Amino acid sequence: MRPHSSLKQEFLKKWIMGLQRCSFSKKNMSILERKKAIKFSADIAMASARNGTTCWSRSLISNASKEGSDIHVVEQILGSESDRPAVENKVPTRRASVCKKIVKRSCRIRRRRRRRKCVASAPSSIAKHLVRKRREVLKSLIPGGEFMNEICLIEETLDYITSLRVQVDVMRSLASASVRASE
Amino acid sequence: MKSNPGTTETRSNLTASGGGQVTSFESLQFTDEIHRLILAPTTNNASSLTALLELPPPQAIELLHSSDSMKLIAASLPNVEDFKGSFRFPSNTGLTEPDARFSVFSGEANNSNEKRHSPESKNLSANLEKAVKSEPAETESSQPLVSDPTVDKRTIKRKDRENKVKGSRKKSKTAVNESSEDAEKLPYVHVRARRGQATDSHSLAERARREKINARMKFLQELVPGCNKISGTALVLDEIINHVQSLQRQVEFLSMRLAAVNPRIDFNLDSVFTSESGSLMDSNIPGLVMPAMWPEIQGDGNRQQYQHQWNVDALQQPVWGREVCNNYITPENSLLTYGSSANSATLQANQLKMEL
Repeated sequence: MRPHSSLKQEFLKKWIMGLQRCSFSKKNMSILERKKAIKFSADIAMASARNGTTCWSRSLISNASKEGSDIHVVEQILGSESDRPAVENKVPTRRASVCKKIVKRSCRIRRRRRRRKCVASAPSSIAKHLVRKRREVLKSLIPGGEFMNEICLIEETLDYITSLRVQVDVMRSLASASVRASE
Repeated sequence: MKSNPGTTETRSNLTASGGGQVTSFESLQFTDEIHRLILAPTTNNASSLTALLELPPPQAIELLHSSDSMKLIAASLPNVEDFKGSFRFPSNTGLTEPDARFSVFSGEANNSNEKRHSPESKNLSANLEKAVKSEPAETESSQPLVSDPTVDKRTIKRKDRENKVKGSRKKSKTAVNESSEDAEKLPYVHVRARRGQATDSHSLAERARREKINARMKFLQELVPGCNKISGTALVLDEIINHVQSLQRQVEFLSMRLAAVNPRIDFNLDSVFTSESGSLMDSNIPGLVMPAMWPEIQGDGNRQQYQHQWNVDALQQPVWGREVCNNYITPENSLLTYGSSANSATLQANQLKMEL
């Protein structure tokens, strides 16, 4: 069983760090900006809590560090763990892999179109087709999912679901607490 | 074979005597033969055969291939085991009437009528021999093959043996399914080639990969609520996708809510925590409660400074005594102590509340 409490605490600490950093840069933010900043720091905090062990966390962080505007937030959160060199190194390799994947996917799509014309009505092939569709949807949901094979995809989903749950729990408790405080 | 004529004589005697009257000598001979047949394989594969025998007969029948001789063995073996001590072969009573005998042996409607008329004893013993001999092969092969490196050869040999013994009998996949399931329980990833399926390395590897995927899907099923009852990969994946989407939507919604509640992005945590210290302690963030007390005690002059600092230090555990309010531990040091001293935090928080 994962030690949820330690995960929650680590996530909260990093999240607050990120929020502080956000607030230093912009003083008056609209509600949407705030929401974006909150969500962003929460995501980065969650991903960094994994310390680069999972694929989705790495791709989240690298995606975030691609945009130059919020990179200081990422650095703030990751700074203590000296994760920055790893993040920077990942960016160019990911670009190359993205190109490769795009080429592969286009080839696959062409092949798939050809196959669709002569698709057998055997139940097994229909089932496979359904599963394949859902697997693609899952890949689109999980950050960095397009680059994983099936086994990794399922493991990453497991990890991602637990992290999301932690995130939701912490945010919900904080929200309820602040709502009650403001009353 | 000596025993065969002996058994034929016993049979004829039995038919002549017509009843459950079996002389001890004759029954002894017959049962001796059966014992010899049974015990020999058991010494080789003690675990396998006795394990088989422990199974209720219908299961044992299913495990072995569905064949008449197999059923004979499976049905008769428990009988023999039961009556070993008394040396009474219960089917002997049925020997008088051919119909009854075969109903006793097979236990169900059978199509072995033709066997009845041939010299029954010979056929029976021959069947028993053949069946028993092939049985250890079956059980042996159905056992998890930990020590067998060459799965392909095994399957081919087994298939040959089966073909010899079976002849024109029906092929069932249940035995093979069971054996492949047994293989899965082992730490050793041993994949059994299914009967009637290819045994080349590609399909074996693919099967191993598929089993890995299925194992991980089981974990996912346990994690996502409501997936346990669903069968079928597509539906389970549907549920998982729904769950992930709902969680992501919840995160968005909650972040919007937090943004709406607080005018500033770094929340007024002190006001939050003073009022909500109790509930927050329950929700696994006891560390945040502690520092909430300090600003109030010290006064508002230093509030700004404290707010920033203890927002970071908030999760550190005190190790703080009550007096130590000015010494903020640096984040790096406190991280290590955080998890361990969670309990002390709650105690101290309670004490502080009492003081206030």
